[in-house]
Amino acid sequence: MSDSGPEAPPDPQRERELEALLALSRRGRAKLERLHEVLTSPGHFGTGATPSTVVYRENKLRLLRLLDESGQPRRGPPVLFVPAPVSRYFIMDLLPGRSFAGFVAAAGFDVYIADFGTPTREDRFADLAYYVDGLVRRCVRTVAALTGESSVNIVGYCLGGTLSLLYAALYPSTVKRLVLLTTTVDGDVQGGIAWVAHRMGLAGESYDEPRLVPAAEVKSWFEMLSPGSNSVVGRVSDLWDRLDDPADRLREVRTMASWVDDVVPAPGRLLAELYRKFGPGVNGLMAGTATVGDRLIDFAQLSMPVLAVSAEKDTIAPPEGVDAVRRIVPQVEVLRLPGGHVGIVAGRAAAALWKRTVEFLGSGGSQGVAQ
Amino acid sequence: MAEETAKTESTLVERWLAEQQQWQRTLLTYLDSVVKNDDFLVHLGNAMRGSLLAGKPYPSAPAAGAATPENAADDRLDRVLFALHELQGQVQDLRLTLEELSNRDKKRGKKSKSGKHKDTE
Repeated sequence: MSDSGPEAPPDPQRERELEALLALSRRGRAKLERLHEVLTSPGHFGTGATPSTVVYRENKLRLLRLLDESGQPRRGPPVLFVPAPVSRYFIMDLLPGRSFAGFVAAAGFDVYIADFGTPTREDRFADLAYYVDGLVRRCVRTVAALTGESSVNIVGYCLGGTLSLLYAALYPSTVKRLVLLTTTVDGDVQGGIAWVAHRMGLAGESYDEPRLVPAAEVKSWFEMLSPGSNSVVGRVSDLWDRLDDPADRLREVRTMASWVDDVVPAPGRLLAELYRKFGPGVNGLMAGTATVGDRLIDFAQLSMPVLAVSAEKDTIAPPEGVDAVRRIVPQVEVLRLPGGHVGIVAGRAAAALWKRTVEFLGSGGSQGVAQ
Repeated sequence: MAEETAKTESTLVERWLAEQQQWQRTLLTYLDSVVKNDDFLVHLGNAMRGSLLAGKPYPSAPAAGAATPENAADDRLDRVLFALHELQGQVQDLRLTLEELSNRDKKRGKKSKSGKHKDTE
């Protein structure tokens, strides 16, 4: 005979609470298991998705030439992609099926990508002339030498677009067609990375005694542009919410994160020069006072067709500052696409930009270009 | 089928116990990866900062001397190194110019050969 009386019937309210807690526990565990699966998955982080070969090296720069399925260089009109030197190049060639450069290559072009690499301390002395009149110019010369073409198509992205625009104005006869993606030309337009960097003290960056601006500092400027992303709590909370997504989707997010979060240190002299020449108040690109080295830039020299693309929801390069290019380059075609700074080149809706770019590059009698 | 029936028939307490065991397994999996896979710890650290960045740690404050040299000798060395990089570029320019000249000569040679060939025809 037991001391205790008959077992009390379960309290339905309490049972419901415990069931809910159990479901919560299972969901949290599933998220952690998915995170483990993603973190242990192999991937191509930090490299492009398309097979390529290095055709030129200088300092940290590598010039990559995309290869076809048989491992051979493609035959077609050459296109040089110039990404921003403060971020990694592989945003242009992110994932199989999500590669801007791969798409252009598949359309029949011989595609090259400039990978500026990761600057180290001595590169803090690199200025605008080093990039425009040095690295970009020698990339173009190398492409011309390899293909036998006297002029090449250039696609510049973000700050890479600024370098491309300046290069094209200095050496117009070597540029067949120019595409500028989310490239700010009007430094007086508020918002955007240049404005934030100005507010965060870029004005104090020394040209004569430059430092290598740490990646964490450059990253903090980008974080200032997207509310919540500059707090660890906000980022962890976002990631936790995302862990409900399927593992495949998370792997894509991871690849994108491997670009977004992998900001490289920036040469302080370059940033100081960009700020002093093109930044708020001076606005040299719009004012016609821009120089590279001691050479004055004259946009009237830009005789080639130019396509400038802005993104409606771009917080890094506000569309007004991009579209302003029509005030300095008369023959430019300005296209504004829905999406953000990264989304229009590598997001799920990026195909609109890729197709328009191929149309633009392919027009004008290019041979071997499949549409 | 029998398993399914067993699942539906298990009590709340039993399901909680099973869940606890699953948690132990999950944590052991993490522990196992931390021990066996060096990269995993970096990736886990990034995830704990809210990032899925792979292959390297999330950007953080650089080590002392990474942004600017700590003494004058290092500064001079950096200047020399960068000057060498600039020289490397100039040498590459020279090489490219020589290649262009050589290619131009080849093209001219071909043209003149084909011209002569036509003349003889």
